[in-house]
Amino acid sequence: MAEKITAYRFDRLDQTLTQLNKENCVIIAGGTDVMVLHKSRRGVPPKIPKPIVFIDHLSELKRIYQNHKDLHIGACCTYSDLLEDPFIPIPLKKAIKTIAAPAIRNRGTLGGNICNASPAGDTLPLLYVYNAKLLLRSVHGDRVVAINDFIQGPRRVQRHYNEMLVEIILPSVLEEGSHIVFEKIGNRNADAIAKVSFAGYIRINGVRIEDVRFAFGAVGPTIVRSIDIEKKLYGLTIPLTEADIAQIVAAFDKIINPIDDQRSTAIYRKTVALNLLRYFLCMKQYQSN
Amino acid sequence: MNLKDISTSVPKKDHKGKVSGQLAYISDVKVENMVYGVLYRSPIAYGKIISIQLPNLPEGYEAVGAEHIPGPNYVKMIKEDQPIFAGEWVNYIGEPILMLVGTDLNILYRLLDEVKIEFEEHQAIYTLEEAIKQKSTSACFASYEFGESLANISAIEQGAHQIIEEEYDTGYQEHVYLEPQGMLAIYKDDEIVVQGSMQCLYYIKNALLSALACGEDEVRVVQSPTGGGFGGKEDYPSMMACHVAVAAKAVKKSVMLVFDRSEDMVVTTKRHPAKLKYRTALDKEGNILSMCVDIFLDGGANEGLSSVVLQRALINSAGVYKIPHFHAKGFCLKTNTVPNGAFRGFGAPQSFAGIESHMGHLSKLANIESLKYKRKYLVKQGDPTITKGQFRDPILMEEMIEDLLNVSDYNKKKGEFQRFNQQNHRYKKGIGTSLFLHGCGFTGSGERDHIKATVKLAKSKDEKVMLKISNSDIGQGILTTLCKIVAKELDLPYEEILYPYPDTKEVPDSGPTVASRTTMIVGKLLERAAKKLKAQWQIGVEQEIVENYVHREMIPWDEKTFTGDAYPAYSWGVNIVEVEVDRLTGNVKLEKVYGNYEVGKVIDERIMKGQIDGGLAQGLAYGYLEKMTSKQGRIQQKSITDYGPPTSLDVVSIESKVFDNPYADGPYGAKGAGELTLIGGAPAVQAAVEDALQTFFQQIPITPEVIIESLWVREGEEVD
Repeated sequence: MAEKITAYRFDRLDQTLTQLNKENCVIIAGGTDVMVLHKSRRGVPPKIPKPIVFIDHLSELKRIYQNHKDLHIGACCTYSDLLEDPFIPIPLKKAIKTIAAPAIRNRGTLGGNICNASPAGDTLPLLYVYNAKLLLRSVHGDRVVAINDFIQGPRRVQRHYNEMLVEIILPSVLEEGSHIVFEKIGNRNADAIAKVSFAGYIRINGVRIEDVRFAFGAVGPTIVRSIDIEKKLYGLTIPLTEADIAQIVAAFDKIINPIDDQRSTAIYRKTVALNLLRYFLCMKQYQSN
Repeated sequence: MNLKDISTSVPKKDHKGKVSGQLAYISDVKVENMVYGVLYRSPIAYGKIISIQLPNLPEGYEAVGAEHIPGPNYVKMIKEDQPIFAGEWVNYIGEPILMLVGTDLNILYRLLDEVKIEFEEHQAIYTLEEAIKQKSTSACFASYEFGESLANISAIEQGAHQIIEEEYDTGYQEHVYLEPQGMLAIYKDDEIVVQGSMQCLYYIKNALLSALACGEDEVRVVQSPTGGGFGGKEDYPSMMACHVAVAAKAVKKSVMLVFDRSEDMVVTTKRHPAKLKYRTALDKEGNILSMCVDIFLDGGANEGLSSVVLQRALINSAGVYKIPHFHAKGFCLKTNTVPNGAFRGFGAPQSFAGIESHMGHLSKLANIESLKYKRKYLVKQGDPTITKGQFRDPILMEEMIEDLLNVSDYNKKKGEFQRFNQQNHRYKKGIGTSLFLHGCGFTGSGERDHIKATVKLAKSKDEKVMLKISNSDIGQGILTTLCKIVAKELDLPYEEILYPYPDTKEVPDSGPTVASRTTMIVGKLLERAAKKLKAQWQIGVEQEIVENYVHREMIPWDEKTFTGDAYPAYSWGVNIVEVEVDRLTGNVKLEKVYGNYEVGKVIDERIMKGQIDGGLAQGLAYGYLEKMTSKQGRIQQKSITDYGPPTSLDVVSIESKVFDNPYADGPYGAKGAGELTLIGGAPAVQAAVEDALQTFFQQIPITPEVIIESLWVREGEEVD
């Protein structure tokens, strides 16, 4: 006997928000995380505890546009959509290409990657160094939250049940002059979950560091970023001295506390995270990309 | 289609069904009055069952256990040590204790959660390391010792310049066949038909005859299309067949048991983890004076096929080399972990990884390029084997090595990589080789004494010819290759030769689909049967030809003294692998892979290429990518993602060539090919990583974790 499931699929965003305001629902964009999370054993459909709202078709959530120097990305853009869009920065495209495989990239969305809030979320380290802001909407209006405030822990986000993530805003991302790297370490080249990931951002004026940011994935309950440590580098000149590099690495050594699990070891994760950081800091020059 | 050269590729018999997705696998099958079975499995590694408390079962739901087995409670294999349902004791996490059957899986899973079993837990042995430490008191499934006397060896060691001792570890490997295991027992009043994904129809039939204590014609085994086996469907399906058949008998309904991927990964057999110890005496120039090898295999909780796996591991312990004064011994030990079983290569991949690694390290000590060093010891035609057998047939290894050196530009690359590595601090390139063989067919006299294969060819009135054999196509393409052999011999179009999925009611026992024996042994029998049929051909008449196995004259194999010809023939291979290693992350990127092989004669070029590419991918991954661990008796990687077999983005295109060297007792000269192709992958990738990082490893898989640790240790030493 099949169990009954309530599912909604409205034509417009406002109708969807109205329904969410009435009822606590599970939102499905691509479904690539929700379906796995609620998977049952063989031969039994997934058990999703609440009514479902489908949002993957809402055109309001699929727009990508420029507003001054900021880039706005609709939460329901799939990874494949983003790969084809000329506005999307190259490092972000590079990160997206490491996600799963084409079939999943055709379904999975940027908004979904954020709301799933996995410490290993492939786009998250970059979104952190981009200082991404999230536009949340409910029937009561909009609010904007910084991504690091929004994500609280594994699968824990600051979304009220009546709210939806509608846009990801990357401030000043279209500005010239920053150098960004992204590295994902998985156990293989596709369909892999990150064992460690690293994003580094640097903007230089002449030889002086104007802005610098680092984010580490899969080494803690949330992405690891420290503005206090970053600040120590402001105003320093490139190439950095051995002592400066050692100081920064030592500071991150204190706050990166990964775990052992079926995918890797704590010691590996930490060593590699710090290796990638040191490598980024040791660069003799940084080209903007 | 008429075939001038047997090697010319033809469309595979099962191509359309598989490519279109129309072919029904066992989990697609539904029959009348069918219920599902789910297994309650031991949650502890070792202990006694004190009490079992079942939930209230709704109507139509029943529990089936040891008490329902009409015959003895073990899966008939070699030893009688594997219970169908656990008796008083449980020996590993995941061991089946009872089965619940009913129509709705949802309800069955709920009921499974409500089963309560009380155990008295005992101290388990979780690792091979612990088992070796407790070897004197704990269970040893099998052990063998052979070779030069230890007194002689010790005399040689006394006079040696140097004695090198190494210990080498190999890990689990999981088959990751595309189709997880599945079995269906169809209940009829006078017969149980067991259908499913399998390699060995008569192993299953024999297990069922024992478990059901029934007559020959009361049980029938039918292969369903099988999505890969790799040895994983050699022994394990016998247990599942017993489960569904016992249950079907008990509840008088048809019973289906299918695993999902995570259940399959946790409870089915794997490649035996191994520890190999080498003790080699060298002279001043680094020449080998003597070598002693000790091999330890982790058998898991019961013996299964482990003793035979150990035999093959030992027979291959000297690799492709003629080592003066060689001695070896081996043990297969019990641990309270998931039982280990057959896997493509069957003990040989562990041995080749070990010996190739050791020979590579010895060459570094002698300061001689590794391939040059290894070639000094290559066996030649007429040489004795380490078990006092003989390499009878021509050996083409020298030609194959020379060819591959040219094709890969080996010597030039070595120089290029050195220059690259001096300039690049992050990425390091390396190139490595492996030399290997595979003994074709069963070890020793198994084929003559135990299997006694019989094949039939049946011709109908309308001149169609049908193969009647018990071998199963598990993706390796025998539906195609065996039909080609018969078609060519009869001079008939290949399309007119029929080979339906085998059914024990229709086919004789032509042996199991294992040990790379099918093409060579069964193919030869079919070739002979076809010759006979051609000679006796009568138009418009039904005819049947029966052909029985004839043993090649060899030095008789004696399992006790471990002497004689272990195999009738050998297939050979050479691999060269290029890698780039990231020193910051330990990631290994394959850059180029080459392989030369000699398998007698290729029966179908495209199918052979499939074996080469697939076997190499699996073998390379065994060396650096696939990692499975057991913690407190529990398998940690329950999904393909966590285990990490290679994707198309991990394997580069493989440049390969096959050399002709027809073998008299194989059809058209063919020998075994399927297992050979896996064996060289891991040792070649290890050698390449060692070349890149200028270091030694004593284990596979060489994961990024292993690499980073070794670099870390080395940097520590440099700083100090």
